[in-house]
Amino acid sequence: MRISEQAKLDSRARILEKAAELFIGKGFEDTTTRDIALAAGLAAGTMFNYFPSKETLAMTMVTEALGQGMEDFRRRRTGEEELTEELFLFIASGLRRLRQLRPFLGPVLERSLSPFPRKSVCHEGEAARLGHLAVVQEIIGRHGFTAAPDYVAMTIYWSLYLGILAFWTNDESPNQEESRGLIDYSLRCFVQVISGTIAERGAAHAN
Amino acid sequence: MQTENGSESPALQMKMLLEALPKESATDPTGIRLARLINRISRQKVPVSSFSRFWILGSLQAKVTLGYFAYWLRSRFVDADEKGRLKSEAHLAAALQLFGTMGYLRGAVMKVGQLLANLPEVVPEEFAEVLSALHFEAPPMHYALVREVFLDEFGREPEEVFASFDRQAFAAASLGQVHRARLHSGEEVAVKIQYPGIARTIKADLRNLRVLLQPLCLTRDWQNTLDKLADLEQMLLMETDYEQEARFGKDARLFFTVDDRVVVPRVYDDYSTKRVLTTEYLRGCHLDEFLAGNPSQKERDQFTTLLIVATFRLYYRLHWFLADPHPGNFIFMEDGRLGMIDFGCTRVMTDEEWLLISELERATLERDEASFKRVTAKACLFNDPEEMEPERLEILLRGVHWNMEPWLKDGLFDFGDREFFMRGIDSLMEMTRKRYTRGSPLYLWSNRFIFGGRAICYRMKGRCEVKNISTRESAWHDADYV
Ligand SMILES: Nc1ncnc2c1ncn2[C@@H]1O[C@H](COP(=O)(O)OP(=O)(O)OP(=O)(O)O)[C@@H](O)[C@H]1O
Repeated sequence: MRISEQAKLDSRARILEKAAELFIGKGFEDTTTRDIALAAGLAAGTMFNYFPSKETLAMTMVTEALGQGMEDFRRRRTGEEELTEELFLFIASGLRRLRQLRPFLGPVLERSLSPFPRKSVCHEGEAARLGHLAVVQEIIGRHGFTAAPDYVAMTIYWSLYLGILAFWTNDESPNQEESRGLIDYSLRCFVQVISGTIAERGAAHAN
Repeated sequence: MQTENGSESPALQMKMLLEALPKESATDPTGIRLARLINRISRQKVPVSSFSRFWILGSLQAKVTLGYFAYWLRSRFVDADEKGRLKSEAHLAAALQLFGTMGYLRGAVMKVGQLLANLPEVVPEEFAEVLSALHFEAPPMHYALVREVFLDEFGREPEEVFASFDRQAFAAASLGQVHRARLHSGEEVAVKIQYPGIARTIKADLRNLRVLLQPLCLTRDWQNTLDKLADLEQMLLMETDYEQEARFGKDARLFFTVDDRVVVPRVYDDYSTKRVLTTEYLRGCHLDEFLAGNPSQKERDQFTTLLIVATFRLYYRLHWFLADPHPGNFIFMEDGRLGMIDFGCTRVMTDEEWLLISELERATLERDEASFKRVTAKACLFNDPEEMEPERLEILLRGVHWNMEPWLKDGLFDFGDREFFMRGIDSLMEMTRKRYTRGSPLYLWSNRFIFGGRAICYRMKGRCEVKNISTRESAWHDADYV
């Protein structure tokens, strides 16, 4: 019997939902693919057709959340933002969507977005990285730069972003408010780097 | 006092510093050592944190503020020998640097300034001017940051919560910034928004400051100083709780009628949280602008009267000290009413404290000197006036008499009287110099209340019938208030 496209989508959604529950309840490390298949009412083999690994599963959730964040960002952008502010809006919109996944995000991001070269590249992670950087380039392009920043600048950006993610994942302050300062400050550093100017000491925060 | 950011030449800066800084008659009569110390510290680089980008140690006001802080700290170890002094000075420099980075709040500079006005218990006239020059216009949170705060607090964007919302802040608050907005029902409001994470920063900074100050503990009143620091921390943290501030504001509002011509803005609960406070927008100006318009003596007197009535009412009926009566908290409204806007720093007296302070007032009015002495001693944490060094007792009595002086004068009391104002300053200076600052932490608040309020009235050159007002306001128990 052929499984309809709709049924496939439903199964996929159910797996993602159950996996998220388990990751939050038991933790990412202690959840097995078997647990997930069981909870979703599927044979382990069938589940592998959808998601080859636990990491892929988790990173799919991350990518979807970030994708929604990107949409939020485009919707929320007013066009009046300064460069730093616009980058801030982008990152903040993404994190807001990631928030519900936060309890198990640490180990997931550590594996999938590791800055160290890995034997097996996580495709979802790589796709997330490229997608994110493309938007950053697009934002920068809107703010009067004639050429795109080179790989050094983009590597610096990505390091800062990973640092923000790492801090934010462990941020125990209410609504992760401590991360806000870090994000803002990191972005100012980055903007300074690509602008090639040392901001005036004590210059206005707003601009 | 200029507000430029250290663009003057070094020599000129040094000269201005020398003029503005206090001089220690015994160890540093020209003030040159202090000025050099401050200059040296301000040239050292401080790692700039996300909150402190606005604090420019190079600016003259920052240096002067730092200078007064240093002056106060130093007065703690003037007796030490040369070696002890040098060691202390190293710690002093470290503490001052940290203090410099505590400018997370541009307003903190103001706050810090006010804090200084209490810690050193020194408020020379120039300093009052420096403080009032400490305005920082740039709003430090960009709109994207404000929006995140709103999503966390209300789950909606500012533009959804309000019918309209100004993206640019119109005023700086000490721990945040204030935006104008309009409710869907049409009311104009002021929306105060707090910096994310500010409370934790304050706690961490003050903890570090205490650690750095620890080695300076060379005097017997040091523990008392630490207690005061703890109280200041509490005071700063109180200001981070907008829900509490809203409660104070709502309580205060109940005590004024239209006839009083004192306005406490309405609080809009549905639009307020711990980090966002929405109040009725009051149209008017602050003290500086009011004075710039060359108001007549009558206008000055009217506003002075309103200010005294407003503060006395809360004092007598609610036993509150508005511990933050600085000019930014009063709005001179176009129709002659006085707006009172900030209840973030309200200290409610305990019953015991109230009894003591009422006894002081009674003793003043009845000229019962024995009792006056007893209460003064108690407020300074002595069991009995006999326990105090005669000089300490004498200086303190002078200070407390000065506090109570307006209560004794029939008819108009002139707060613009320079002789009176300076006498208060001198007595505080003397208390500091002699390090007779030990006292119940309540003092910190009452001092702020008294000096803050009197500094405003002094600058206003206003007069009012203090005695009458106090008689009227304190007689309320006899009426049918609940
Ligand atoms: N209801 C209001 N109507 C008009 N202006 C207001 C109102 N509330 C606040 N402001 C403006 O914002 C400024 C800061 O507000 P507020 O005093 O409440 O902040 P704060 O954090 O308590 O600052 P500070 O401790 O320095 O007084 C005020 O000086 C005033 O100019």
